[in-house]
Amino acid sequence: MSSTIKSIAFAFVTALVCSVLLTAASSGLKSFQRENVEVDQKKNILKAVGLIQDNKVYSKEAVKKMYADSIQAVRVSSNGAILKQGEAVDTALPVYIYVKNDQIESYIIPINSRGLWGRIKGYIALENDGSTIAGFTVYKHSETPGLGGEIEKRWFQKNFKGKKILDRQGNFVSISIAKGELSPSFPKEKKPNYVDGISGATLTGKYLTAGLKRTLQDYEPVSIKFRTKQFLQWHSGK
Amino acid sequence: MKLTASKHMKAFSTPLVQNNPISRQMLGICSALAVTVQLKTAIVMGLSMTFVVAFSNLIISFMRHMIPRNIRMIVELSVIASLVIVADELLRAFLYDISKQLSVFVGLIITNCIVMGRAETYALGNPPGLSFLDGLGNGAGYGSVLVCVAFIRELLGAGKILGYQVVPAGVYGLGYENMGFMQLAPAAFIIIGLLVWLQHALSKTK
Repeated sequence: MSSTIKSIAFAFVTALVCSVLLTAASSGLKSFQRENVEVDQKKNILKAVGLIQDNKVYSKEAVKKMYADSIQAVRVSSNGAILKQGEAVDTALPVYIYVKNDQIESYIIPINSRGLWGRIKGYIALENDGSTIAGFTVYKHSETPGLGGEIEKRWFQKNFKGKKILDRQGNFVSISIAKGELSPSFPKEKKPNYVDGISGATLTGKYLTAGLKRTLQDYEPVSIKFRTKQFLQWHSGK
Repeated sequence: MKLTASKHMKAFSTPLVQNNPISRQMLGICSALAVTVQLKTAIVMGLSMTFVVAFSNLIISFMRHMIPRNIRMIVELSVIASLVIVADELLRAFLYDISKQLSVFVGLIITNCIVMGRAETYALGNPPGLSFLDGLGNGAGYGSVLVCVAFIRELLGAGKILGYQVVPAGVYGLGYENMGFMQLAPAAFIIIGLLVWLQHALSKTK
């Protein structure tokens, strides 16, 4: 009996000591980690518009400076109008605008899609014509490494560049991830709306396709403004 | 005194080669496949592993007379799990990019049989100093295999070492191509197999 009590007491003390240590480690390192996450997000926004290359190393300061120089974060309402700072509406959509030489070059939309094992978070950048994809990045996911996890790899992401979210008639169709590589027999008129998928990760592709479609649909009012050149005027008028 | 010195030496050096956790005991293969595409991740993984095995051995060895036998595995596991989480948090705070590449594998050190195995078979029966050295040796033994495999995979698979291009562009011009296969997990299997073969062959001739 006393040995049982001893065991319970020992387990309790061990658990207590471990949890105190872990809490201390986690809260002590939190500020460093938060900064890393923030820089990583900025880095991905910059990567989506091609300002940062994959095979180069950038210091935290360089990333922050580059971001401050060329990216403007704005919020738009569901009908595509830019909100003033502090203006409250039911649904405010965050948009990042890439400004180069006082011109809007492209706009970046955050993605938060369902994945197979967890949320997939990233950015998709569209050029100022409102239909061509300028880039796509993923900064957080829990997909299987080597299968769905390939979505974070360059070879997968680079396929998005230059693809369209509109079909030939100009209707919104979003961008879809094909099942495996696009075959040569794939209908030519649909090719601009599809990217090569990852073999062995059909479900990841399926969920990400759905997530992208939903997000791009939500942002259609913004994209339409770009297609009709209204956003560009906003900027030069400012 | 000399005897204890050599005993300490042995505790550290045996798991390095003779009783290497990967190439002799065939433990920790899973993570060895996953993190050896690049040398950098392999080195960081080896260091994290060494940190965890060495300190879990040390802590468990200190407590070895106190731990009630019937819950010893649970206690070992909580010590190991805590150390792994600390290692993961440290990586996320100071080596964020690498920790992203290592993704789940740092967390999976918890389930790595090397750590638990050393705690059970060594740390419970030996004094802290020896146990710590045994942990260092096992971690370094694990890490050294990882580094060997990653070196071969990164060199043949991407023509790079630690991210720097080492295969000159001229060689590609002559028709040389990177072996894409080396980037995939099965390549690590084959290289580890060859290493095991090499080690067995060498130890036989001695």
